[in-house]
Amino acid sequence: MSRFRRLVAGLLVVCIAGMGIPLRAQAGIVTTHSIAASAERDKVARMLERADVRAQLEAYGVKPADVRARVNALSDQEVAKLAGQIDSLPAGGDGLIGALVFIFLVLLVTDLLGLTKVFPFTRPVR
Amino acid sequence: MRKSSGAPASAGALVLALALLAGCAAQQVQELDARPPPGLPERVELTATPFFPQKEYQCGPAALATALVQAGVDATPQALVPEVYVPDRRGSLQAEMLAATRRHGLIAYVLAPRLEALLREVAAGTPVVILQNLSLPIWPMWHYAVVIGYDRLNDEVILRSGTERRQMMSLTVFEHTWARSGHWAMVALPPGKLPVGAEEDAYVQAAIDLERVDPAAARRAYAGALERWPHDLLARLGLGNTAYAARDLPDAEAAYRRAIADRPDSADAWNNLAQTLLERGQRAQALAAAERAVELGGPRVGEYRATLEEIEAAR
Repeated sequence: MSRFRRLVAGLLVVCIAGMGIPLRAQAGIVTTHSIAASAERDKVARMLERADVRAQLEAYGVKPADVRARVNALSDQEVAKLAGQIDSLPAGGDGLIGALVFIFLVLLVTDLLGLTKVFPFTRPVR
Repeated sequence: MRKSSGAPASAGALVLALALLAGCAAQQVQELDARPPPGLPERVELTATPFFPQKEYQCGPAALATALVQAGVDATPQALVPEVYVPDRRGSLQAEMLAATRRHGLIAYVLAPRLEALLREVAAGTPVVILQNLSLPIWPMWHYAVVIGYDRLNDEVILRSGTERRQMMSLTVFEHTWARSGHWAMVALPPGKLPVGAEEDAYVQAAIDLERVDPAAARRAYAGALERWPHDLLARLGLGNTAYAARDLPDAEAAYRRAIADRPDSADAWNNLAQTLLERGQRAQALAAAERAVELGGPRVGEYRATLEEIEAAR
């Protein structure tokens, strides 16, 4: 359901923003990033992805006032990578998912084997 | 009473799996020991690198502030929280670490995923922000830290990490935890100062990404790139476009002309030259350049045609 809402919201953003886009090609300087984009991907698709990332960041608690500048600083490739993926990509923050005693014991062993470094007090044996 | 035979069996399987995992050694560390890269110092520590002890879940802002301050930007972790932290993920995304670097006028460059590439940047005096999974892939614990030194004799790296100002970590443990992020490492550099191991396409792309946010800074990055790779077409056009954006039309024209001298078939260069000439009041030359762009064609021919029509209409 939230996916559907996101899609509708994204489409709306594009439609509203799209009213400002001239349908004809524009005279003037060809921008560096449009020259670099190997296959000129659909402008609308790129705007949809940006709208999607914006909506997702807001859904994950980023203040709406901050979202625009944050998404604007992302490159098209980064936006494409993030779109629809924010819940599955790594977010560096030291939170351990699923902290059970059993997991702690396993991680203690892997720390000692030198495979992980979860606990500050461990030193790998060897 | 029935005993569950599942528990001992799964414990056995676990021990076996762990033993296998321990067997897969840190490959890049072994290579480094077997074939020491020429010219790489044995021991480096960038002691002047600042340290910001992190607050809970905020290793991203802390690591980023470390790198930005080292590159000469005034930054604090608190001020970076609204730029990179995602509250409900309790962490920061890699793409946003790069984007926030750009918002401060710096080049964000992702290193090649090799230990040697990382150590070389550190040896050149640049601290490197890395992403590690300190735990196992099934229960990840993602963490940003900053590599500020290493000691190859003792096989250790030195990190600004979490609340530790000077964390010594065995290179083997480091590689195991770092490999889980796909060996992700980035540097933040003032535009124009190239990473020692900079690759042409990657650096120019980093400059293009900077141009979105800060064209003036990107202009310096293009100039730096062109010192090392004088014939890079994208960097040359970027130099022209950022000069144009700054309304420095003589420099823009010079850059487009140089691009055309290198690559006479670059329709984009002809089109941008035409627009610049028009604005400099040289209509006849502008017209000829725009006609050339349309003649060469390509995926952006619509834009060239529009430029041509604009010049034809200008009287």
